[in-house]
Amino acid sequence: MINLLYYELFKTYAKWRTYIGFLVVMVVIPLVLWGLKLEGGNFVQRQMGRLQADFLVSGNLFNAWTISQIIMNSLWVHVPFLISLVAGDQLAGEATAGTFRLILIRPVSRARILNAKYAATLIYTASLVLAIAVMSIGLGLLMFGSGDILVLEGGSLTILPESQALFRFALAYALAIWSMWVVASLAFLFSSFVENAIGPIISTMGVIIVFLVVSNLHISAFEFIRPYLFTTHESVWQKAFADPLDWSTIAASCGVLGAYSAALWMATLAIFKTKDILS
Amino acid sequence: MSSEIVLRTIGLGKSYRGRRVVQDLNLEVRRGDVFGFLGPNGAGKSTTIRMILSLITPLTGSVEIFGQDLHRNRERALASVAGIVEKPDFYLYLSAVRNMQIAGSLTLRRTPKKEKIDVCLGLVGLSDRAGDRVKTYSHGMKQRLGIAQALLCDPELIILDEPTNGLDPQGMKEVRELVHHLATEKGITVFLSSHLLNEVEQVATRMAIINKGNLIVQGSVDELLRSNANTVVVNVTPQKKALLLLQKMRSASVVETAEQGIRVEIDQKRIPAMVAALVESGCQVHAVIPEKSLERYFLSMTEQS
Repeated sequence: MINLLYYELFKTYAKWRTYIGFLVVMVVIPLVLWGLKLEGGNFVQRQMGRLQADFLVSGNLFNAWTISQIIMNSLWVHVPFLISLVAGDQLAGEATAGTFRLILIRPVSRARILNAKYAATLIYTASLVLAIAVMSIGLGLLMFGSGDILVLEGGSLTILPESQALFRFALAYALAIWSMWVVASLAFLFSSFVENAIGPIISTMGVIIVFLVVSNLHISAFEFIRPYLFTTHESVWQKAFADPLDWSTIAASCGVLGAYSAALWMATLAIFKTKDILS
Repeated sequence: MSSEIVLRTIGLGKSYRGRRVVQDLNLEVRRGDVFGFLGPNGAGKSTTIRMILSLITPLTGSVEIFGQDLHRNRERALASVAGIVEKPDFYLYLSAVRNMQIAGSLTLRRTPKKEKIDVCLGLVGLSDRAGDRVKTYSHGMKQRLGIAQALLCDPELIILDEPTNGLDPQGMKEVRELVHHLATEKGITVFLSSHLLNEVEQVATRMAIINKGNLIVQGSVDELLRSNANTVVVNVTPQKKALLLLQKMRSASVVETAEQGIRVEIDQKRIPAMVAALVESGCQVHAVIPEKSLERYFLSMTEQS
């Protein structure tokens, strides 16, 4: 299995499309940081709005941690697209290239090949989210320094001490990876249906858009289904900045997301094991 | 030739959207065979090969390789098998060596040794380009790389689906020689699908012909062609006079006249009498050539079906 995974990772990281996501991250994050640097403290002041009149703010709140959180919030909508770009190509790409005929005639079960591909997809997803973490926090620390974390959410303000920053961000990015694995699993499933990578990307984004609409529209007809949609729990990483941490909510969201990933992986396995390779 | 059966299909069948593309196919390939698998385009050859290599699931029947049922014991059945299905496709963005490593590791469960890869690439004349990305390869080079990756794990059975497709005459000759070398020098059983009859005639020891998904005939190439040996080409002058005489003969039946002579269907025992009659009538008989053409045989069998 290790050998299979090694070559799946090798194939994944030898393709140029794998680096599109990293390239976007490497361009967008420095650009945002540079913009914020030019803006100075005005950005935080604008965000805090009238709260400034009620509180006496001291110390550096315009720091790497606050900015990383802002970047994560704004990039979060776009990350699924970057993930489906690679995850959607994992099986469909082999079909397009005709290489299923090279690998599936070998004395290795299809389940093992699929599992190696799935593991490589999850590793890619984690590496992209970690690249966002490293870029935004690393570059942020260099440009803005450290300080307490300012969390602005839904009109409420939370300030977390600097000493908690590493733990909070480690938790946030771990939850972000967990959540993005659902997107990767969805694109991976769609990838098993077709013979080109465009279909899985469009289908994944289509499902996300529909689910997001249903998740975010507070219409009573959708109320019963909302807790079961993965998009309702997709921003679970934001709960890493709540004070105090609500572990039961985090566990519930992780449960729903984990169930989605497992179900999607099992569906892909069932399809792939019986699929006729005609390409 | 050994009588051990290395590949057997039993009542193999497949349908697509209600259309039967392979029906009740029973093939037997023996150890040491170069088994020619013939059929016109769309006869079901590739579908059969895909079923044999577990790329598609049969609707009916089963496949046994080295005595192992492919469905129940896939990994053991395919352990000593290699193949190229239709055209050889590779990871174009990787080098030949990387492609060989990927393909080999799936069979060997470890990365194949560099020396072994070098030997296989050398055998097909690709040593100089081993480090180049496969996207820079010509079709013929990819075909040769396909054979190299098939040889990497020392298979006992190689399944080649139209291996000379798209090759120039020199490339076709090289592949034919390679197939002959694998069978005679290395003792590998070769299952060779083709619609190029000349190719199969030159290398195959046994063959099967399928048409519209049905098996038409199967057996030793020599025996099958011998059954067609009642046709001879009579090279005779003057041709017109000889033609009139042959048309009058009860024992012979003129099929057609051609540049090289008159094609006649006749019982072998009656050939001396036919020659004597021609000579007595003043014709000069230069040659009587028994026709042993796979092409004629193939056409007669597929037309009958």
